[in-house]
Formats: sequence, structure tokens, C-alpha cells
Amino acid sequence: MALEILQMECVVQGIIETQHVDALEILLQGLCGVPKEQVRIHELCLKSGPNLGVVPSEVRLLCDLVPSMPSWTVRHVGGSLRGPGAEQLSVLVRSVVESKVSSNVLRFFYGLGYKLDHEILKVGFAFNFHRGSQIAVSVTSAHKMPKLHATEDAVPITPNIHLVEITSPATAENYNEVVASVTSFCEYLAPLLHLSKPGASTGTVPSAAAAAAALMSNSVNRLL
Amino acid sequence: MGPHIVGTVSAIQEQQQQQIASEVALPPSRVERLNIAVQQQLNLESVKTRALGLSKAISRILDDFNAIAHTNGAPKWQGILGQFSMVNMELFNIVEDIKKVSKAFVVHPKNVNGENALIVPVMLSSKLLPEMEAEDNAMREHLLSGMINLPIPAQIEKLKARNDMIGTACETAEKVIADAWKAFGLGSRQVPNLVPTLDKVQAAKIQEQENQLRAAVNFGEGLKLTGDQRHPSSSLPSHLADVLNPGDGSHNFGESGAFSKNIPSFSSNPGNPQGSLMQAGQLIGRSVQSPSGVSIPASFDNASTPPMPYANSPRSGTNMMNTASPQQQQQRQKIMQIPQHQQQLLAQQQLRQPTSTTILGQGTMSQLHDFQGQAQHKFQQVPAQHQMQYSQPLSQQQIQNRHLQPAHLQHNLAQNQINQGNQLRSQLSQFTGSVNNALFNAAQTSPNSQMFGVSGGHHQRNLQPQILNDQMFGMAASSAANMVGIQNQQLGAQGGFGNVTGNSQSVQPSMPALQNSTQSQNFQQQRQQSQQ
Repeated sequence: MALEILQMECVVQGIIETQHVDALEILLQGLCGVPKEQVRIHELCLKSGPNLGVVPSEVRLLCDLVPSMPSWTVRHVGGSLRGPGAEQLSVLVRSVVESKVSSNVLRFFYGLGYKLDHEILKVGFAFNFHRGSQIAVSVTSAHKMPKLHATEDAVPITPNIHLVEITSPATAENYNEVVASVTSFCEYLAPLLHLSKPGASTGTVPSAAAAAAALMSNSVNRLL
Repeated sequence: MGPHIVGTVSAIQEQQQQQIASEVALPPSRVERLNIAVQQQLNLESVKTRALGLSKAISRILDDFNAIAHTNGAPKWQGILGQFSMVNMELFNIVEDIKKVSKAFVVHPKNVNGENALIVPVMLSSKLLPEMEAEDNAMREHLLSGMINLPIPAQIEKLKARNDMIGTACETAEKVIADAWKAFGLGSRQVPNLVPTLDKVQAAKIQEQENQLRAAVNFGEGLKLTGDQRHPSSSLPSHLADVLNPGDGSHNFGESGAFSKNIPSFSSNPGNPQGSLMQAGQLIGRSVQSPSGVSIPASFDNASTPPMPYANSPRSGTNMMNTASPQQQQQRQKIMQIPQHQQQLLAQQQLRQPTSTTILGQGTMSQLHDFQGQAQHKFQQVPAQHQMQYSQPLSQQQIQNRHLQPAHLQHNLAQNQINQGNQLRSQLSQFTGSVNNALFNAAQTSPNSQMFGVSGGHHQRNLQPQILNDQMFGMAASSAANMVGIQNQQLGAQGGFGNVTGNSQSVQPSMPALQNSTQSQNFQQQRQQSQQ
């Protein structure tokens, strides 16, 4: 497996009420100028067993269920940028390693001694575009499985709320510019949702309903 | 309109001439910048960014239309309308941003010159148009009529009083209108708040849900399955069906899997060599309890195993040197310093440990052969290669034979074990104290030569070829029936088959007698040595 190492990534998260997701889609369609992509990802989080050393490690196996032939990705998220400079940034900058892998990756990690910790199913849509840097915006509903691997029976964790995640790859040299471009893009979404670092909660925007109504009223005839 | 433009242009030319004259007279002055605080208050950077973004978006839409016009293609209305919605939204945002600051500031260009005259709007030119100037003068005269002769402070006071009067009149008018609305039942005239505030209860609920969602996505909280949920559903989804066997994954779930190896750990305390010896003795040749209560066939591949500290770890692979660990070397040195009769006492304590038939039948015998070799080499350790063996699944014929074993074969096996015990007793009586010493030194370092295998759905132990070919077993490895018999016997000892269990248990009572006789011979031997 050829490792495609992204040294760092900038990430922000926010929430939006399910009733306003259509309006957000219209806004993103206009901002990004690219077609949206469907998202249906089965994410399995594995943790290392005692035979793999004292320091616990965690890997995430992502299975993209949208294509007819599901594709697998392994992803390891490292530590985030620390210090007073990092605290002032409105974006979380963290190290990450990601690679495309073959379908027997799950057996491989089980063989190494990793254990399944939890799994989650993400369903929604995403936009991938270039605006100062390569930015990916995903709007997903997170689902949990009532039984092991039962993706067909998955139920939403929070039916009324969708998770919005904006990520952008970066390096140690250019992360400042990437942070600036992500922050700039986040401003465009301010009428509908607030975005923050994954650790901090933001709540919903009081004016989101009015903004959503304005967006929807202008696109009533969008299916012409 | 013509004269106005001419007037404006002449004013600009006049200013330009003045500017040129001043530039000749004075060195070029520095470009004035806005005060940083004012710049931040105006939020100009953000407005500029938004405006540029809006401009680009509009350009993109126009480009799209041009492309459609050139190709005579049908426009994708969904995308275009989406972009228009975004432009509308962005324009609304920019206007809102500017509204905040436009109340407090009025912008006048410092001067108008040849470069900026074309782009500066007429309304922002530094000199007013003639009719605007006239209107302004007329208004000023009207306001200040009857006050021009008064001093400036008095003029200000009078203007303030007039302002207050106008304000009072406006308030009165507002009150009258409001009363009229109430009287006619037309409801409140107050404009509803443009920014609705969320109900506190609803806000708290959303906050809680957000925390729950973020915790689940980022840290997996609330997603860990309980015991009965860990077993995969009857049919795996298509993307996992090809990848996983039905049993995979369930015993890998969490820290407490479906089962864990229950193997005692060696004490690494060099101060207690006796305890370490005892533990080593208990471990050699003993069958580890098979997992019970596992409802699915689970492989041992993923069972958590401790890291291999030394080359002579029981899990060491082939071709590894059988070297002792530092702790074991220390223990050996300490034992060498103990007087000989104490060493023999240790040996007898070791033999008194309650053991199953497999210890005497397999473990000890194979080790005794090793110890004879070691004694001949003056107790120096010989590097040995231990080959791991994996059991092959039994053929259908062998499985049938297993169930159809005649009774006399089982009887022979029982008799065979008693014979082995007798031979073992005679072997032990020939050993001197020094060989006993070697036995317990080597007991620490000899690897556990037995592994688990899975055959026919039951856990069993593999016998090394060395043991199977041994004459003391009275059989050859090529005899399939005998081999199955031994496997049966072992399965019986572990409770694998009900009908064999009775036989294997019937062999057990003879074992303590064997142990006792062995120990008594050792005592006699020790007594003779002490007399000498």
C-alpha cells in the first residue's frame, strides 16, 4: 500500500439543523461551483491491543459505500498544534496520515492485534473544491449501529442535527495560508452556521431560519 | 446637465493645477493611511474580501452564460440559480456590514486628480455642484435667520432648543398614532425583531445534542456496543461479507474479548528463585484450559499475546538460539550456590506438585531425554532449534475412526500409560543429584514445546514427532489408528468426548501411587548419599 502522507490538516466543525440542510446545499453549490458528491462512509475505529506497545494507538478504517465497488482508506490522526499561537487560531491544525488500501485491511489490522473499538456510519453529501487551498466540505448525519456491522439498520445519533466538517490538507510550511483560506470560507457560511475547532461547541445560529428562507425563496424554481 | 459637468471638470482642473504648483514647491508628501483602530472598526478587510468574492462569483456566472451562448447548450438551471442565490445572499451580507459603519462615518475624498477623477463618483467629488451649493446656502440662511447677529454659543443653544422641540413633536405624533392603532384594534405597530432569539430550553437541548454528536464522531462516545451486541448480525453487509468470516471481529471487540489466555506469568524477581522454579515446573507440559462458553468458532490468531522479551520466549520462532534471560541466569547461579541436599529437596518439592497424566506421559519424558544429553555435555546448554507444529485437520476417515474406537484400544492405552509410569520410575532412580540439578536448571530455559491446534472443532495439543516415535509409547507415528487414539485420550482428559472421559479418569487413580513410589526412591537415594 503506497502511503499518501498528508503531514497536516486544518479542520473545523459545526452543526446545522436538518431542516436547513437544503438551504446550506444551495449556498455551498453557489460558493463552490462544483457538483456535490454523495457520502456514505462506514467508519471503523480500531485501537491497539497490549501486545502493540504501552502507548495506545488508534486507526480509522473508512469504507466508501457509494461506488459499486467499495473502496477502503486507512487514516491515523495524530496530535494537534499546541501553544499560544495555536490557541489563537480559529481552526484546528493536526497531523494526519492517510492511505488508500485494499479490502482485506480489516483482517490485516486484526492480525496485527488491533481491536474494534467502535463504528459509525456517515450519510450525506460533500463538496471538494479549490479556493486558496484544496477544501473539502462535508454535511453528514452520523448513524450508530444497533448490532455489530449492521449498517442497514443504522439509526441517526441526532436526527434533528447534521454535522458540517471543513477540512483542508496542509504542511508545516503553508498551514498559515491554509488556515486563512479556511477561515475566509467559513465567513461565507456564517448566516447559516458557526464553525469551530472539533473540541468546542458552537450551537446553532439564531438567524439561520431567516437566511435559509432567503436562500430557498430564491431557488424555488431551481428544478426548471 | 452639461453646465454641471463642465463646472465639475473645471473645478477638478483647478485643483490639479494647484496640486502641481504645490508639488513643485514642496517635496512629495507621504500617503496618509487610515487610523488602524478606525480601519478595524470599519472592518474594511472583510468587506473588501467579500466584495472581491462577490465580483468573482458574478464573473463566473457571466462566463457560464457566455459559454452556454457559444455552445448553444441548455443551461443547468439548478446550478445557475444556486449561484444567483449565493450572490443575493452575499450582497445582502455586504450591505449589512456597511450599514453598521455608515451611520458613524461620512467619506470624502481628500482630493481629486487626473488619475482618480474618472473613478470617483460625482457625489463624492470634493466640490459641490452649483445647484447643490445654492440649495445648501438657502437652507443655512433659513435655519440661522434672526440668529446671525448673535454670538456662536447663543446660536448653538437656539439650535439645540429647536432640535428638542422637533423631537418632542415627533414623540407626540408617535404616541397619537400608537393610540389610534390601539383604538381601532389594528395591533402593535412594532416591527418584529429581525434576529429571532432561540428559546432557552430549545437552545439547551440543541447544545446537548451537539455535544453528543461531536463526542460520538470524534471520540466514539456512546457507540461502544455491549456484550450481546458484539456478535455480528446474521448477515454481514456486502462490503464486509467478502472481507470477514462470520466469527471475525467479535472477539476483537474492546479490551475484554470473548476469551483471554489464562497463562500464569513468570516471576521476574531474582530474589525468589524457588518460586520461579515452581512456576516453571507447573507450566511445563501442562495443558491450558480450553475456552468455554464461546458460541462461535473463534481462532487464536488475534488473542492478545505479550511482547516477546527474549529469544527463548515460548513463542520464539524457528532457528532462534535458546539463550537464557538475565533473570534466569541469575537464578541458575543462585541455585548452584545452594548445597546439594537442598537442591534435591527442591527437586522433590517440584515432583510433589499435583500433575495430570500429560506431565508424566509427555512433558517429563521428553525433557528427561534432553537432560541425559545435557548431562553428557557437562550441563552446558546446547543451542536447540524448536520447530513449531501446526495440526492438520483430520481426514473424514480419521474422524469416523475416532468415534468407532474399540474398547480394547482404550484399555491398551490405559495399560500403556501405567507401563510408562513404571519405566519412568526406573529411569528416575538412575539419576544422580547432579542430574536432578540439571533438570531444574533446564526446566527454566526449555521452551514449552506444545502449541494449540484446532482440529474437528475441538482444541487439542500436538505431540512432537520425538514423542510419537519414542519406543516407550509402544507405537509408531505412522499408525493412524494409534495416533487417533492418543488424540482421543487427550480430548477425553479435557472433556472433549463424554464416553472417553470415563476411561481417562480411570487411569488417574494409579498416578499418585506412581508419584509416591518415585519420590520414595529418591529419598532412599538421598539417604544413601548422605551416609556415604
